[in-house]
Amino acid sequence: MSAVDITPHSPEKTSMSIRSVINNAGIGIALLLMILFFSVASEHFLSANNITNILTQITINLVLAVGMTFVILIGGIDLSVGSVMAFAAVVAGKAITLPGLGATELIILAVLAGVLAGMICGILNGVVSAYWSLPSFIITLGMLNIARGAALQISGAQTIYSFPFAFEEFGSMLIYGVPVVFLVALALVVIAWFVLNRTVFGRLIYGIGNNEEAVRLAGHPVFWYKVAAFSICGLTAGIAAIIYMARLNISSPIAGIGFELNAIAAVIIGGTSLSGGRGSVIGTLLGAFIIGVLANGLILIGLSDFVRQMITGLVIVIAVILDHYRAKYSAS
Amino acid sequence: MTASPLLSVSALRKSFGGIHALDGVSFELEPGEVHALVGENGAGKSTLIKVLSGVHLFDAGDITLDGAPYRPASPHAAKLAGIQVVHQEFNLLNDLSVAENISIEAMPKTRLGLLDRAEMNRRARAALDAIGLSDVDVTTPVRQLGIAHRQLIEIARALQSESRILILDEPTATLTERETERLFEIVAGIKAKGVTVVFVSHHLDEVFGICDRVTVFRNGETITTQLITDVTPADVVRSMVGRTLEDAQHSGADAHASTEVALNVDGLRTTANPTGTPVSFDLKRGEILGIAGLVGAGRTEVLRAIFGADPKLEGHVRLDGRALRINGPRDAIAAGIGFVTEDRKEEGLILDMPISANSSLVDLGAVSRRGLLNFGKEREMAARAGAQLKLKYGKLSDHAASLSGGNQQKVVLAKWLAKTPKILLLDEPTRGVDVGAKAEIYGILRDLVAQGMSMIVVSSELPELITLCDRIMVMAGQEIQGTLARADYSQERILHLAYGQTQTEERIPA
Repeated sequence: MSAVDITPHSPEKTSMSIRSVINNAGIGIALLLMILFFSVASEHFLSANNITNILTQITINLVLAVGMTFVILIGGIDLSVGSVMAFAAVVAGKAITLPGLGATELIILAVLAGVLAGMICGILNGVVSAYWSLPSFIITLGMLNIARGAALQISGAQTIYSFPFAFEEFGSMLIYGVPVVFLVALALVVIAWFVLNRTVFGRLIYGIGNNEEAVRLAGHPVFWYKVAAFSICGLTAGIAAIIYMARLNISSPIAGIGFELNAIAAVIIGGTSLSGGRGSVIGTLLGAFIIGVLANGLILIGLSDFVRQMITGLVIVIAVILDHYRAKYSAS
Repeated sequence: MTASPLLSVSALRKSFGGIHALDGVSFELEPGEVHALVGENGAGKSTLIKVLSGVHLFDAGDITLDGAPYRPASPHAAKLAGIQVVHQEFNLLNDLSVAENISIEAMPKTRLGLLDRAEMNRRARAALDAIGLSDVDVTTPVRQLGIAHRQLIEIARALQSESRILILDEPTATLTERETERLFEIVAGIKAKGVTVVFVSHHLDEVFGICDRVTVFRNGETITTQLITDVTPADVVRSMVGRTLEDAQHSGADAHASTEVALNVDGLRTTANPTGTPVSFDLKRGEILGIAGLVGAGRTEVLRAIFGADPKLEGHVRLDGRALRINGPRDAIAAGIGFVTEDRKEEGLILDMPISANSSLVDLGAVSRRGLLNFGKEREMAARAGAQLKLKYGKLSDHAASLSGGNQQKVVLAKWLAKTPKILLLDEPTRGVDVGAKAEIYGILRDLVAQGMSMIVVSSELPELITLCDRIMVMAGQEIQGTLARADYSQERILHLAYGQTQTEERIPA
């Protein structure tokens, strides 16, 4: 119990950000080592083309993982994002192929419709699980099926295609070799970081994950914060749907199967605790990169997709074991 | 009782962080006796039981069992040594049958390695018969049995392996009189078989009804062990409370209380008290009103209902004569009520967050603009509160978890004081807080009252209530048993009311 009486001004903002820097440093180093390894093992790995490839490949997972970070930070989980993405894509696909409207109107309409469809699913997830205090694991498992069924029903199980040219062009546009869609994802990371670290809302998201009862007794409407976290997750699923359509020029009701697991993996590898309250969206960014770099690099060095899958699984398990020790360390 | 002791504990110490839970515990158990452990909440009984049953290791001191050193590293080791505990909370698997529960530690197997159901049921039958529970069918799922039967099944389970010491932790807390009598018959039977029984209870009449000896705990120490025939309940109460009580009485607070009513609670009924007499009382401006009572007496429930932490069934709360509509903590805070909760780790602090973030939690509006946090302002506010409350910390960015109990409690106080409430509700404000910090917290509370704040303090420590409060209201069984003015404070009167003698007297077996 040795302590100085008062230290009025400490230079750093919060120790949370310091800790997250240390945590993220570990993940960052792991990512760098991976990049180093693959660039030695394969001459193509660091080529401009391949970097563009990697960035394109991780974009959708990154967008989904940003929303997932909010849900996992409050101690929840959202298993429905893959299906919700397909549902939003089908809704947006129907909107964008409406007859009798100009390209600009169609694109605006489609983006709004897709994002709104995603958000509605998120709000439903949040309201049902928070109102009845039910495990979000089960509620979003239900939504996984509902949204998939809705996507198939609305589309008549048919793939929707022939979108306006400008929309398709957006999906493959590059700025200095960087896909514009990736920049959109990166912008979402920055916004999420700002919201989580600089706003009252973000503070209470962390607070709820840490000690929900303390936040409730401090007079904050925990219910609405939970609903908000899930609707952000639905919102990012909607954005992911638009990016998916722009990239592939189709919207398919069977898109996004299993995407929820990749998004959760990115969040967990990024050091966010599954029990909530601890983690960061920067970690999520690094986690998404690790998954993307692994997938790309392992194929480049000639391993089969099956081996890639095994190794990705292994990385998830290792990340959770590391998180266990991190939690233990910070508790003592 | 001159035989060599079965179990001997001497100078036992155990600390958690800076808190001395056991601070010199010594006593002996004779073979075949029923030995009571009594003391106020937090006196060290539970910690001792946890040490004996292998949940915690002790820091210093000696325990010998049959003359050999005893230091169980796990609950399993304690069971092998023949020490069994029946806990307050049941450890039964509700969807399994009575027989399955009794055999859960060692399921009988057939030669093929499959569960031998017949043997299991036979053993369970024998275990139940051994304690006279022949009216229970061993194939019944536990869920279908009443509380009393569940308890007796726990006892049967504990006894079927070779138990030498059976520890019953508050076994009668949830039992009716008849069930309690039956339990006592069973305890007498167990004793007759030579098993030593340790009986932890808040009900002194029960202790005097069935125990041979009694050991009194206070502040982590054993005060005395005596033959029950040599003492009276009043002696035991005196040992439990200690002499600090008389000292405290004279060092009482100055009376700031005006005659003006600040908070009026009228006909309050909590969900824990759907049928009894509702709770009604007044809190004067600048007054500290204490609520005394045993665990489960309904004190916390009253505070939580006033604050809106739990829904109330009926009743009105008026602040400065104005009726409040409180549907949740938000409404209470807006009306000017603060609530320092009982368990700072579970309900008070966000342990993984900085001190500054914890102290602004209730008044985030003051450190933000349009939802954006102003960290400079937040640090300033926390530093100011820290200076006012004499908070000892390294950096404001240190996690709340890094602080000692007393300083954690000050952070909780800082959080509520940020909004300068008119009414502050405090539930066990100094639990797990060391003596120095305790005195500081008392000083802070007195200053606040002098400035016109009014407080309700729930505490299980009588000396605390007596030093701090202008009036003490005593609760038992979710009802107010009486209210004492400072001039009438006496340990006997408070405990007499708290132990609700009128309700428990009939429980003494004839």
